[in-house]
Formats: sequence, structure tokens, C-alpha cells
Amino acid sequence: MTDVILEKIGKTYPNGYHAIPSVDLSIEEGEFIVLVGPSGCGKSTLLRMVAGLESISDGELRIRGERMNEKEPAERDIAMVFQNYALYPHMTVYNNMAYGLKNRKVSKEVIEKKVTDVAEMLGLTDLLQRKPGQLSGGQRQRVAMGRAMVRDPKVFLFDEPLSNLDAKLRVQMRVEIRQLQRKLGTTTLYVTHDQVEAMTLADRLVVLNKGNAEQIGTPMDLYNKPATPFVASFIGSPSMNLLPANLVEQGIKISNSLTLPLPHDYRGGVVWGIRPEHLEVSDEQNADFALRIQAVESLGAETLIHGLLEEESKKGIPMVVRLSGPHLPELNSLMWLTAPVKHWHLFDEITQQRL
Amino acid sequence: MIENRPWLTFVSHATLLLGIALVALPVWMALVASTHPASAFGVGHIPLWFGDSGVDTWKTVLLEKAGNGIDTPVFFMMLNSLIMALGITFGKIAISLLSAYAIVFFRFPFRDLCFWIIFMTLMLPVEVRIVPTYEVVANLDLLNSYTGLTLPLIASATATFLFRQCFLSIPGELVEAARIDGAGPFRFFFDILLPLSRTNIAALFVILFIYGWNQYLWPLLITTDDAYYTLVMSIKRMLSVTDGDIAWNQIMATTLLAMLPPVAVVIGMQKLFVKGLVDSEK
Amino acid sequence: MTVTFPQKGLPWLLLLPQLLVTAIFFLWPAEQALEQAFYQEDAFGLSREFVGFENFIDLFTDPLYYQSMLTTLFFSFSVAILGISVALLLAVMADRVIRGKLAYQTLLIWPYAVAPALAGVLWWILFDPSMGPIALWLNSAGVDWNHYLNGNQAMILVVIASTWKQISYNFLFFLAGLQAVPRSLIEAASIDGASPFKRFWTIVFPLLSPTTFFLLVVNLVYAFFETFGVIDATTKGGPGQSTNTLVYKVFEDGFVGLDLGGSAAQSVVLMGIVGLMTVIQFRFIERKVQYS
Repeated sequence: MTDVILEKIGKTYPNGYHAIPSVDLSIEEGEFIVLVGPSGCGKSTLLRMVAGLESISDGELRIRGERMNEKEPAERDIAMVFQNYALYPHMTVYNNMAYGLKNRKVSKEVIEKKVTDVAEMLGLTDLLQRKPGQLSGGQRQRVAMGRAMVRDPKVFLFDEPLSNLDAKLRVQMRVEIRQLQRKLGTTTLYVTHDQVEAMTLADRLVVLNKGNAEQIGTPMDLYNKPATPFVASFIGSPSMNLLPANLVEQGIKISNSLTLPLPHDYRGGVVWGIRPEHLEVSDEQNADFALRIQAVESLGAETLIHGLLEEESKKGIPMVVRLSGPHLPELNSLMWLTAPVKHWHLFDEITQQRL
Repeated sequence: MIENRPWLTFVSHATLLLGIALVALPVWMALVASTHPASAFGVGHIPLWFGDSGVDTWKTVLLEKAGNGIDTPVFFMMLNSLIMALGITFGKIAISLLSAYAIVFFRFPFRDLCFWIIFMTLMLPVEVRIVPTYEVVANLDLLNSYTGLTLPLIASATATFLFRQCFLSIPGELVEAARIDGAGPFRFFFDILLPLSRTNIAALFVILFIYGWNQYLWPLLITTDDAYYTLVMSIKRMLSVTDGDIAWNQIMATTLLAMLPPVAVVIGMQKLFVKGLVDSEK
Repeated sequence: MTVTFPQKGLPWLLLLPQLLVTAIFFLWPAEQALEQAFYQEDAFGLSREFVGFENFIDLFTDPLYYQSMLTTLFFSFSVAILGISVALLLAVMADRVIRGKLAYQTLLIWPYAVAPALAGVLWWILFDPSMGPIALWLNSAGVDWNHYLNGNQAMILVVIASTWKQISYNFLFFLAGLQAVPRSLIEAASIDGASPFKRFWTIVFPLLSPTTFFLLVVNLVYAFFETFGVIDATTKGGPGQSTNTLVYKVFEDGFVGLDLGGSAAQSVVLMGIVGLMTVIQFRFIERKVQYS
């Protein structure tokens, strides 16, 4: 059953700035959707429009079939977890979690049962009488989630909830959020700028760029078949190698000296891409091209090699190669590589669409 | 201190003690004077050590009548002062809280204009426009009334600014969280905003109480009826008795009693007082 | 902040009390003063006549008004400079001592709570020519003290009474300023071999200059407008005109002299001065905010 529908949702600010031209998205019940994109892409604005904290300029938002555009945030039956947690500093953990229920005139007994249940689920039972100022970052994060959970809302909204935590805690909370969401089965909309967080959490991802949804799909869709160069470079770490090129009769022409063989009837400018992990080391005879090694990052399980394309015109284009296991090539030496055709990504240079 | 210079430490303590003595001198003299009978004055000196009629004088002044032409006792005028001081304090805090709330948490036309109108009250202290203000209050038939004593003084740009600063420092996400939790403007004001502004309100309370208690010119002008005399202004009326008839012991006792409540507030709530003083000048 | 409530009528309701009080007791009288300043009224308030700028012309051709201006300036700067100097000395000493800091603070700040009129009365008694101990002591030391007759002595008296009350305020701000001076600077200077006095004048005092300037403005405003009670309870502007400040003159000409037009014209001039001082104060605060 479709739970949340965004139909041609747009946002124009009073000063005329067109933050979001038009976004279409329909979310199934229980689905975990992640809105991801660089800062300023409009992902938080979109989330806040769903929450009712920003007005919707164009289009329609429906939750369980009901139009929400004009409803107050409190009437939309959503709950939100904020980046800075936004806990009420003068209230105990218990009262923080109970406040929304009290305002909805839920009876005392029900509130108490709900709060204690959720507190137990999150391991907050011993902290219920503390105030937010006495809690660690991770504990505050849990309270913020607990406050959302006791309400038992139709939709959870998360606005970069992990960005104030340290790296280790972030990974731990990421796993926990995913487990909780599966257990509760609540439809979730989650905003982040971190593509790893996005990939690991999402059932489906929405990649936003300048207010446009560049691509909507499962993490693997986006990884295997990015719709645009933007998505290709945004998803995956390190980023995909992208080079401007021309399709010619013999194949794909990257520079004067470098043409990769591929018969194709298309002629014109393209963007050619290959992921660092799909480049393969070979010998000089069989290689597609050579790379002059500039820097080596050894991570133990894998090695990242940064280099410049070696070609006669001397115009080096940077490329990254990702090899598994430890490697220690010499700096400034040449590395011979092949780029298997099945891993190529080709995009039209003008329309930016995948070919 | 970084280095140990005993003589410097000694000089510091000595200077401070001297300062304290100078600051306390007039009060000490007043205290001594209030313990002597009225006849001890005007013979070429004020006594320098305590006399023995202190208890009588203080009792008379406090409970029977202040003397020097004023027949009401000090405790009665204290009550008036208290009513005026509390009226001004609560009035200022209440209307400033409300207007700061409107200015920070709502968007409406002429918002900036309203802010500037409130700001202008800073430029118009009552002393400067005393004659027309008196006329306005007289026209409204508020002379000799508690309303007349308090209402004209409760508009306050300073308190509004202070609360505005305080509200602006509350993170926006907290407001959003409250809205999602179903709190409308009223619930938000009482459940979140007021508890978060508690210390600011308390600090301002101390400052405003002193301001209200110490009002002088305004009650002097608009009260001609003994029943509304406040303690601070009564001194002026007591002093206007012909020179030879002034009972200095009673004036001194009244003066000390008039100082006592605000001084007690400053000393008893020193921390809040300092905070209020520093905040309200920011 | 961008987060607001959507209600449109409610903010007006919330602002209403403040706006009403401001309009009735601030703007209306100010407007009355402005209007009054262009009229001449007879002493019984029976008739009045439009006189244009005559009240202002009278004011600015009246030698007494200039004298009052000079008196005000002399009085205000004396209060400000004396109060700031004494408070700075005490604050520096209090910042130095380790033991009893809070006790010293308590014993020095309470005069803030004393009403100006009461401060005036207390000092008046001490200096009373016939029975005040200080006056008697001065007499025996060869100074003929009588502030009822001697205008300069009356001025000294009101300056002392006004300063006495304000020291506590200056003291608190200086103490806060001193505590904000980074310890590392003092330590660096003492490693560079600067003596305590040299450290104060070359490091601490320059760092306190924003506080000092702020206090100068605040003290001038205080001496201008809030010392009414001191003067009214003691000298009543006399003897002669020797302590008749601008603010006292507005009151005296209006309520005692019943020259309503002249008093209103003075009100208008004073409002201009307050406006100017408020702007200066705000300019300064803006700068302070930028630095912090």
C-alpha cells in the first residue's frame, strides 16, 4: 500500500528563489527512503515540507491518501528526529518523551506504559529522570528517537540525525536505527549528506541535486546503473572516474593518443566512466592505457592508487584505482591498466543522461 | 597572582577596607543619629556614638507615625512602596515577555515599526517629559491611585530587548520539535519558553524591583493624599518642614527603613542582581 | 530565526498592552510636549497662543539656560570621572585579592539599591553646616563650609552623593572586565619583566578601554537623568542656579515657574539629547557585539 505521495512538490521562497522545482515520489508502507545529496541540494527543505515546517509552494503531499498541504505539523501524524536532537532542556527524559502525548490528551496510564516500553527498547530505563544536559551525545540521540517512537506515528522523519556523533558511534547508531525501523515497520524518510549512511540504510535512495531528484532507486540500482554523471560520482567511494570523451567509429576516443575500442553507432560528446574498483592491472601489451602513479593510500584490506593518465599530449587526467590487499608500487612509475567494457558507464555530454 | 608581593596584597586589602568604610560612612552616621532624641541635634554637632532612644524612635516611626508633618506610619508607606514596586516589576515583565514573544516568534506586517515604537521609549525618560505626562495622567483621572503610580512606568524597552535576546538564543529546532509535538503558541509559551527564561526573569525581577521601589519624582507629583505616599518620596515631604522643627532622628530612621528592602534584595540575591545588571546593559 | 508560528492576529494581541502603554504614556506626552513648545500659555491655563519658535528662541537667548547647560556638563563629567576612577581602583584591588573577594563585593555594591533622593539626604546631613560631622570637621580645619550659601560647595555635595551611589555599578562592570583579561597575557608580561604597575598600564588598562568607554556613556546618562532625586531632595537647584541641571530645570520651570511653553521647549531639546546618546550607546554596543 502506498503510504506517502509527493506529487510535483515544489518550493519557491518569497524572494523568488526556486529551491525545488518539482519532485515526484511515492513511498510504500514500511519503506525506508533516504534523501541524499550535497549541502544546499534541497533535501532538508523537502523533508521539512513533508513535516509541515515549511509551506509547500506547488504540488500536493498526501499521507495515507489524505491531502496534507494545509495541515499543521502536529496534525500530520509524523514524528521527527533533529540534527541537534532539540530536546527540551528543562524537562526530564521521561517528560521529553511524554510531552507530545500529553498535548494529545492521552491518558496518564497510557503515556506511562508507552514511555516505559520505548525506554526499555532503547536502553533508557535508568535515565528517565535525568535532564538532557546530563546525557552523552549518544544517549541524547536515543532520547530524540524515543520521543519520536512513543508517538507511534505514520511516518518517521530524520534530519541528519547522526552528524553530531563521533565516527564510531555513528556506525553503531546507524545499525540500530535500521534494526528499529524494521522492527516497528514505520515508513521512514531520512536525510543525510553521507553516501555511506545512505547506501547502508535505504530501501530506496533519492539523489537530489539543485532541487531535482536525479535518480530514485535501490542502492544497487544506483551503484550499477547511475542515471547521470552526478549520481555516478556521488554514489560510491572513492568516486567513479569520469572522463570527457568522443564516440568515434573505432570506439571511444578519450584523447588524441587514447582510443578504446567499442563499436557504436553514436557520434558525439560523451562522458565515459569507470569505478576505481573495476580497473584491472595488466601488462604493457594488453593494457588499454597507462597511469603515472602520484600517491598511494594503503588501507590494509585495500589500496587506493592515485595517478595521472599517461599520454603523448602530456595532458594528465587524474584517475583512481582501487586494488584489494596491500600493494606498494613505486611513486612516479607507470601502471598498466585495462578497463573491462562491461563495467563502463556512458553518459550523453549534453543531456547528461545514461546511454 | 603570579608573584607573591605581601606589601601589594596588604595595600589591596587596605584600599578595599577604606573604600568600604567610605561607602558605609553615611549609613553609619544615619544609624547613630537615629538612636538619639531629636533634642540632641542642632546644638553644634551630630552625636558620633549610639544613643539610647533608638528603639523608641524606630518603633514610633515604623508603627505610629513618621513625623515631620507625615502622620502615616512607615510600615503603611512601605506597603504602598511595595505595591508600586511589585506592580511595576510584574507589569514590566509581563508586557515585555508578551511583546518579545510576538516580535521573535511571529511574522506580521509592521513588525519592525512596532519594535521601533517600543525602542523609542528608551529615548523618553519620564523626567524629560514630566509636565505633559503629568497632564495625561491627570486627564485620565489617575492622580492619587495605584494605577497612576504603576501603569505609566510599566512600558519598558530594556526588558523587551532582554527577553528578545533571550528568546533569539533558543534554537529553532526546539520550536519545531514543540510544533510537531502538538504545542500551539500558548502551550509553547507556558511549557517551553517560560521555564527556559526562568533565570532571566528572576534577574530582571531584582533590577526592576529596585527601580520600582526607588521611584521618586513620579509618586511625588501624582500623590497628594497621604494614603498613597510611598516611602522614598515621603522623605522630601518630611524635609520640607521648617528648618528648626525637623526631627532628624525620625528622618534618619525613615531613610534607613526606606533603603532596607532594596538593599536586602541586592545582598540576598547578589548573583541574580549581578546577572540582571550586566544583562540589561547588553 | 526562521521558525515562527503562523497565527496572524495573535501577535497583535500580545503586543497590545505594551503598545497601548507606550502610546498613552510615552508618545502622547511627547507629542504634547512638542505641541506645547510652540505655544505660550498663561499661568492659569485659561488661554494659549501659537508663538512659533519663540519659546526656543527665548530658551537659546537666555543666559540662564546656557549656565544650566554648563552646570549639567560639569556635574555629569565630574560624576562620571570620579565614579569611574574610584571604582577602577577598587575593582583592581578586589581582583588582586584572593581571600574575601565576594565579601568585598557584597560590601561595595549595596549602594546601588539606595534611591538617589535618599543618597542625597544621607550626605546632606553629613555636610550640614550646623551639625554635620564632616562640615564641623572642615570648619575646624579652616574651611568655611556652607552649601546653603556657597554654590561650589553645593555642587561638590551633589557630585559626591551622586557618585557614591554609582560606584557600585562601575565596580561590578570593571571587575567583570578584569576577570575577562586572559591570564596568559599577564603571565607573558611578567615573564617579560613588567612590574605590576607597568602591567596594569600597558596591558590591563588598554584591554579595559571598551568597558571604560561604555561606563563613561552610561554614567553620563545616569548623571543627566537619574540624579533628579539627589538634587531635588537637597539643593533644589540652588543656591542661586549653581546646581540647576537641565533635567531639574524642566521640572522647575514647568511645575514651580509654571512656564509650560518654556518647559516643553526644554523637553524637546532634552529628547533630542537623549536620542543622540541612545544612538551613541547603540553604535557602541554594535561594535562590542562584533568584537566578541
